[in-house]
Amino acid sequence: MNTQTTPAFPNIHEIWVYLSGSPLLALVLTLGAYQLGVIVYERANRHPLANPVLIAIVLVAATITLIDMPYSKYFEGAQFVHFLLGTATVSLGVPIYKGLGAMRGRILPLLAALLAGGLTSIVSAVGTARLLGADSAIAGGFIAKSVTAPIAMGIAERIGVSPTLTAVFAVSTGILGAVLARYVLDLVRSREWWQRGFAIGVAAHGLGTSRAFSVNPEAGAYSSLAMGLHGVLGAVLIPMGFRILGPWF
Amino acid sequence: MMPGLVQILLFQGLGELVTHFFLPLIPGPVVGLMLLIGFLALRKSVNAPLDEVAMVFSRHFGLLFVPAAVGVVMFWPHLKAHAVAIGAALLVSVVLTVAATALVLKGLSRGPGK
Repeated sequence: MNTQTTPAFPNIHEIWVYLSGSPLLALVLTLGAYQLGVIVYERANRHPLANPVLIAIVLVAATITLIDMPYSKYFEGAQFVHFLLGTATVSLGVPIYKGLGAMRGRILPLLAALLAGGLTSIVSAVGTARLLGADSAIAGGFIAKSVTAPIAMGIAERIGVSPTLTAVFAVSTGILGAVLARYVLDLVRSREWWQRGFAIGVAAHGLGTSRAFSVNPEAGAYSSLAMGLHGVLGAVLIPMGFRILGPWF
Repeated sequence: MMPGLVQILLFQGLGELVTHFFLPLIPGPVVGLMLLIGFLALRKSVNAPLDEVAMVFSRHFGLLFVPAAVGVVMFWPHLKAHAVAIGAALLVSVVLTVAATALVLKGLSRGPGK
């Protein structure tokens, strides 16, 4: 009988080493933080400022800083969640397909507005950041930030700017857009729901869309259509434009 | 749910292949997304398992970009140093983008078509 070889309570340090070496810690941290974010969001009556993704990012970032876990180590575990991003992007095809019917008879104005909005987003964000002294690493993160985050990160990879900054700027843009869009739309006297929804979707992708749905179903449908079209066209046009204009960037 | 997930993974794989061999500039999942739209347009309907999976993903999309966004910790000092520029760029561009899109829509749909 070798009862003495296994101590009843293994050293806490050993447990820690074991846990931080497996993907489990990063996964629990990521999913737990997100769940907490969702609870806060529900409690706050789905106010856009209580965004669950932002809460999760802050919580996870604070935690790994506190326990001195290098980001690369965290990502080793969290990559299993990250992988699904591509799969989820493909699944966006379903709502886009369903929304295409709403374009009938309005294709030209919608596409023209999308192009105008997309260009305005890139030029105004990169221009303002540059004017105020931001370097090209930061300014690069603004290029795809009005595109829905999963696609924006794919674009960022293709054009060689930081997917991380792009994701953070995309989420911030979504939150700002969800909060501010109604005031801007009132200011420019946009009255039709479909136009208001589409403008929110072009500027503030997913977060703007959920806001639009909570205000008016027609606005929500057009917002989600705008988000999808912006994603697809952005993924095609931004890398092409960047290849041509890149040297002047 | 499983048959839906299989369909989506299939299109994701197809997209990666097309990107790898023909369209290196476009992200693979976006090509997969376009192929999926093409498929749905041909079939003229969305099958139930596919619809179900798409719903699940769309509900928790945000969770999936947390791991990448947490990388912001590595940029922290850099971001703090440029906080004003970043804040201003976000604010200015959100306001201008919403305004530009709405104004173009308003201007173009006033014509005889609508």
